[in-house]
Amino acid sequence: MSALRARIAALLGLAAPVPTRKLTRDAAIVWLPPPATVRLPVAGLDLAVATGELVAAHALVARSPATARWQRRVHTPLGGRVEVVDGAIAVHGAPAAATIEGRHRDPGSLDRDEVVAAAREAGIVGLGGGMFPTYAKLDPAHPIDTVLVNGCESEPYFTCDHRVLSEHRDELDCGLALAMRAVGARAGVVVDREAYYPAGYERFVVRDQLGRDIPVRKLPRDVGALVLNVQSVRALHRAVCLGEPLVSRVITVAGGAVRRPGNYQVLIGTPIAEVLAACGVDPAHAAAIVAGGPMMGHGVAPDDVITAGTGGVLALTAAEVGARAEHPCIRCGRCVDACPIGLPVPLLVERPGPEVLRCFGCGACHYVCPSAIPLTSRLREASVQEFRWE
Amino acid sequence: MKGPFLRSPQSTRGLMVQVVVAASPALFAAVVRLGAPAAAAILSAVAGAVAVEATLKHRSVADGSAVVTGAIVALLLPADAPPWLAAIAGALAIGLGKAPWGGLGKNPFNPAALSRAVLMVALPAHFFAPAWRWDAVTAASPLSKEIGATAPSWTALVVGDAPGCLGQAAPWAVVAGGLLLVALRTIDWRVPLAYLSAIAAIALVLPGGARVTGHAPWLVGDPMLHLFGGGTLVAAFFLLTDPATAPMSQGGRIAFAWIAAIATMAIRNFTPYPDGAALAVLLANACAPWLDRVTIERRTQLGTSSRARRGRREWRVPWGRQREVSDGARPSGGTRSSRPTGS
Repeated sequence: MSALRARIAALLGLAAPVPTRKLTRDAAIVWLPPPATVRLPVAGLDLAVATGELVAAHALVARSPATARWQRRVHTPLGGRVEVVDGAIAVHGAPAAATIEGRHRDPGSLDRDEVVAAAREAGIVGLGGGMFPTYAKLDPAHPIDTVLVNGCESEPYFTCDHRVLSEHRDELDCGLALAMRAVGARAGVVVDREAYYPAGYERFVVRDQLGRDIPVRKLPRDVGALVLNVQSVRALHRAVCLGEPLVSRVITVAGGAVRRPGNYQVLIGTPIAEVLAACGVDPAHAAAIVAGGPMMGHGVAPDDVITAGTGGVLALTAAEVGARAEHPCIRCGRCVDACPIGLPVPLLVERPGPEVLRCFGCGACHYVCPSAIPLTSRLREASVQEFRWE
Repeated sequence: MKGPFLRSPQSTRGLMVQVVVAASPALFAAVVRLGAPAAAAILSAVAGAVAVEATLKHRSVADGSAVVTGAIVALLLPADAPPWLAAIAGALAIGLGKAPWGGLGKNPFNPAALSRAVLMVALPAHFFAPAWRWDAVTAASPLSKEIGATAPSWTALVVGDAPGCLGQAAPWAVVAGGLLLVALRTIDWRVPLAYLSAIAAIALVLPGGARVTGHAPWLVGDPMLHLFGGGTLVAAFFLLTDPATAPMSQGGRIAFAWIAAIATMAIRNFTPYPDGAALAVLLANACAPWLDRVTIERRTQLGTSSRARRGRREWRVPWGRQREVSDGARPSGGTRSSRPTGS
């Protein structure tokens, strides 16, 4: 009977949306066992180690050339023997490898330069996915009055930032205080409200919290706001107070094909295949394996690893992916309604204009299209063309 | 491989099935009230539409759009339409209203309304004959300005005793189907609401006079007559909400419904035609591309589209508002900490 009801509902297009956040919302963060080998992508960086060298955990293994505009530093999360492969450093863990202990510091005694230097040396980058160096956002050239801690992870399935907010509030408060001191802000807001889909987009956080519209081609700092991801703020606290470089993050592993969904603290550089194996995913059963969110993430290649910007890994079933044949556009306008910046999506797909460059690829139009037209990819192609012309 | 990797369960085929399901109470009620001839007319209309669709090069019978067109054509037929007329109406809707324009989604005019308009001109005898019988009573539509038309009673309108088109045999069933479409979010609720409220408002304020209304002085000042008489309800829930021929933005759709309402009332009160709903829909369809241009294109050109769009609720990606803070101790929402706590 229930099968028949499900068939009728599916025919009417009423199949209930898959419970996405409920899967992991109450799953406390647990450490995933460290992998035997971590691989750290270091393309474009100067290596500080060579093949065969033995390194301690938390040791610096690569850094930007001194001439680079933005300084990046990569530390190994695992102690062991180094192997340099093209574009990446693999560290094969050794059981007895030591850990470099960072310098514990009292946050109250630091001035702004010390905070910025600690962020730079720890190699903290935006953990929301942008991976822009955090120390550069603490630049004093722009007066900033409010620091916003962005906990609006609006991608479905993802609850890792929510868990960090729930479980590590003290670390966040300390990190926020440090960020406020670094930029001289008077107010700090921890934002964990998430009312609609792309609410976590930086511009929308600033607009919704402060009522300030960021003009096209400007950044939050141009309207006096600094937006930092929850986990970046936590990493800032740990770097400054505990001397710990950025070597791990919390990810959500979920999706219909995952047997043990949850929130896991993982070492950066862990192969995604190992994460999936630890959570009980049979890759043959999953229709799509996605890193970084079902809307804005990308499909996983066999040898991909967890990077600082990977918010989670999803193994989705065919029902969740909802693959079906593309139909002609019926001009229903659902994409226009769904677009958070109000782009005339069908008109832009037919006849691209400069407006298309404002699309940030949230995927809402793709999601709602009843004719299953891959609108987001079409817009992406159109913006590539448009960019070339510009 | 780039995403997104999720899709809403709402498919084009699902939309078509929903419309057919929503139209079926009205069709079923018509069969109950009018008997076998109505059933024959409905089946002929659907068969005519599907038959023409099946002969096309780029046919899309499987998605159900031809069945939807046929069902809506049936709702617009005169209550005593013979099967051959119904079959022609269905065939015209696809063959003239949809196929020549490039098929599904490319037609500028509503196929069902276009087919009715063409037949009104070609075979006026079947559309303007005042005789409309059931229970052996013959009467003229209360919307017609003929001699012999009578003022309807309130209950007769709602229950469907007032003469008119087939979809009018049970106005309550049309409303029920329409509300189902609203509940399923198949259609934008703003369209029927804007259309019906504008009709009622215009009915209340429109000046009267024998020159305007002919032999039907009750046409003035009675919103109920205009809401439940003629094809108003069918137009509100089934014609104006056709995605292909309506504007693509919410604001455009509201203006579109207002244009249709003004045209409907103008035709009813200032022309000899008894019911202007289908013609008004065609007129509004003609404005839709222009409404698209002034609403969505200009909006983005002005660069105002990043402004707050918090008011929108429809057809949004549905996982907003799902999250609650699970530890209960903290209110959900922004928490301010204005004083550094680490020092």
